[in-house]
Amino acid sequence: MSPDMKKGTEDVTKPLLTVDRVACTGHGVCATVLPEHITLDEWGYPILDGPIPESVEARLAVKYCPARALYWQYPSVSA
Amino acid sequence: MALSIIEALDTAGLTGRGGSAFPTAVKLAAAQRAGAELIINACDGEIGAAKDSYVLRRYLSHVDHGAQLTQLTRFIPVIYAVHAGTDVEKFLLAQGKKVLPVPDRYVSSEASSLVALQHGRPARPMAKRTRLVEGGRTSDGKKTRPTLVMNAETVLRIAQIEQHGPTWFRSFGTPAEPGPRLITITGAVFSPGVYETQAGPALTDILALAGYVHRSSPALNIGGLGGSFIPMDQVPDLAYSSPSLATAGAAIGPGIINVLAPGSCPVRTIAGMLTWAAGESAGQCGPCMFGVPAVARGFQQLADGTAGPGVLHDLARHISLLPGRGACHFPDGVAAFTASAVNVFSAHLEEHRNGHCTIGQPGAAA
Repeated sequence: MSPDMKKGTEDVTKPLLTVDRVACTGHGVCATVLPEHITLDEWGYPILDGPIPESVEARLAVKYCPARALYWQYPSVSA
Repeated sequence: MALSIIEALDTAGLTGRGGSAFPTAVKLAAAQRAGAELIINACDGEIGAAKDSYVLRRYLSHVDHGAQLTQLTRFIPVIYAVHAGTDVEKFLLAQGKKVLPVPDRYVSSEASSLVALQHGRPARPMAKRTRLVEGGRTSDGKKTRPTLVMNAETVLRIAQIEQHGPTWFRSFGTPAEPGPRLITITGAVFSPGVYETQAGPALTDILALAGYVHRSSPALNIGGLGGSFIPMDQVPDLAYSSPSLATAGAAIGPGIINVLAPGSCPVRTIAGMLTWAAGESAGQCGPCMFGVPAVARGFQQLADGTAGPGVLHDLARHISLLPGRGACHFPDGVAAFTASAVNVFSAHLEEHRNGHCTIGQPGAAA
């Protein structure tokens, strides 16, 4: 199994970093903690560059969000 | 052996008629597992929509029966969500139905807005950290009971599938989009109204239901503010089905067609709709609160011919900042609507940029 395929399989079962857009008030801490994945739009709200899997930095972003707007969601939870 | 209602809906291939086109069997099975209560959404929330009140006026006993078939109403009566102060609200109350009066605001009739309202909170969309059918939380943190929200036409179809069977249901439409379905046709047609149709016929045959004769209409809007535009000269090449409409960047959605008036400037009409949309955000999610007004402002400047050289570029950027960044899909809809308008009316926008519009007077918004 190639590393890419392995990564693909992981994406289905592991939770992804998700922004609660109602709770988010644009403090921008997440973009400081996870600059390789998160930038801020012109109004200060986070733009995620795609699905963000678990990592030490991502867990820190969840922990340090002043609005508690970041959380982990399994890809199957929708609708 | 008789099919269970879930099996019957699955075999019939019924999907949500409110615009989501999500498989009803899947949603209902989850709701039954969670012991959810049922709200029937009959708000006709999209611009120009009229089919929900049409369904309740004509088929209320069928819809009631469909609600019973879900087995969600054994302990809690079904709740009908309709806009407050409307005739259909009075009609339901006179029939002794339990009514959830919904404020007349675009995002108020979104499924999670109705759930929040039912729990005594403002009718604003909820962030979906969990699925509504399993229970969620309102924006101020109040827990909500497991709730299934279904469109009124969807519930009518459940009753029909039980009565006539999945094979009858599949005798309408296409294999991918089976069943009879309602459409609201408004705008520059001879007989605006709600019509019973199906997926598959030529789009011109759909327009003929309402007696479309104004050959000079520039375009039609399909799906309201959450939809897109199709230039009238493309209409003869298209069928009323998702695969065919997709080639023109459109979808069946909640089943609404508005034929734009010939003689009214579509760019001004659209600018009016977007300015209205900017005031309809619930103001909860930053990208929507700031992004939708920014998009409306950009388009208005194009329409006014006051746009500077960077406006098209800024508009494209603001459109790209909306999708997937709200608690509901209102910003996604506005983004697709505006992108379609810029694309379909690019030549006419160019006229506006040069300060002269050749198409009559400003049109009234939808």
